[in-house]
Amino acid sequence: MSTENLESITVNKLVDARGTSCPGPLLAAKKAIGTIEKGEVMEVLSADEATRRDIPKWCTKKGFEYLGTIEEGGYYKILLRK
Amino acid sequence: MNLSFSNASSQIYKIDKECDKDHILIYQLSQQDNWNLCFAQLALTCEIINSNLYKGKMAKKLTLALFSGSVDKLTAAGVILGGAAAEDMDVEIYVLLQAAFAFKKENAMVNDRVSEITDKKEDFLASLNRLNTPHWTEAFRTAKEMTDVKIHICGFAGKVWHGEKLEDFIDLADDICGIGEYMTSAEEADISLFI
Repeated sequence: MSTENLESITVNKLVDARGTSCPGPLLAAKKAIGTIEKGEVMEVLSADEATRRDIPKWCTKKGFEYLGTIEEGGYYKILLRK
Repeated sequence: MNLSFSNASSQIYKIDKECDKDHILIYQLSQQDNWNLCFAQLALTCEIINSNLYKGKMAKKLTLALFSGSVDKLTAAGVILGGAAAEDMDVEIYVLLQAAFAFKKENAMVNDRVSEITDKKEDFLASLNRLNTPHWTEAFRTAKEMTDVKIHICGFAGKVWHGEKLEDFIDLADDICGIGEYMTSAEEADISLFI
């Protein structure tokens, strides 16, 4: 999905995990996923390079849909649908 | 999940609970018309299979033989526990020898020993702080809150470090046990680690 398309997705839950290192962002995502409904979208902000690889793998294992990652200055916006 | 239908059985219907988990086989005699009953049974069977799938495929098990009592390795253990927690794994930790020292109430928060690259200890500890890395006890606690983590103190290790009662250890510890329990648990594990 292109960055423009990703930017246009309505986000139901924003998780800012930029202050933590691996596995902090993944654990923040895990905690927050329980607060949204199936079909809703979560955006995880992470400054941790490894998280952009971890979250897509985690989505596959848990049955969530990884939508894509937007690179910002110094951090990533990682989008997934429950 | 695939459903297969067959007319070849001598029974009105039969759902094979023992068949491959991804396939359910339904038999029906062609002269019978009892599909309602058949599907009621199917629903029950699906529930059983889903439950088995959950146990078998979702909740994998990690056993960790935790020997080290130094914060570098305990921190690494905390990172791995975080990964296990994110995936809802069941975790059994066996606290052996030097790790039992680190789990003693009076030691847990003040122990800052490292076991490797010891000449860079201050840099290492400062970096953990700079990166907002939780203390290993907090990482363990977070994992316990998020998934099923049981922490067992080896009875022998406890005695070595003058801790014979559960109360001698931080409240993360669930019980004091023998090596037999570890062996049983490790046999059932999908992943076994020694740190």
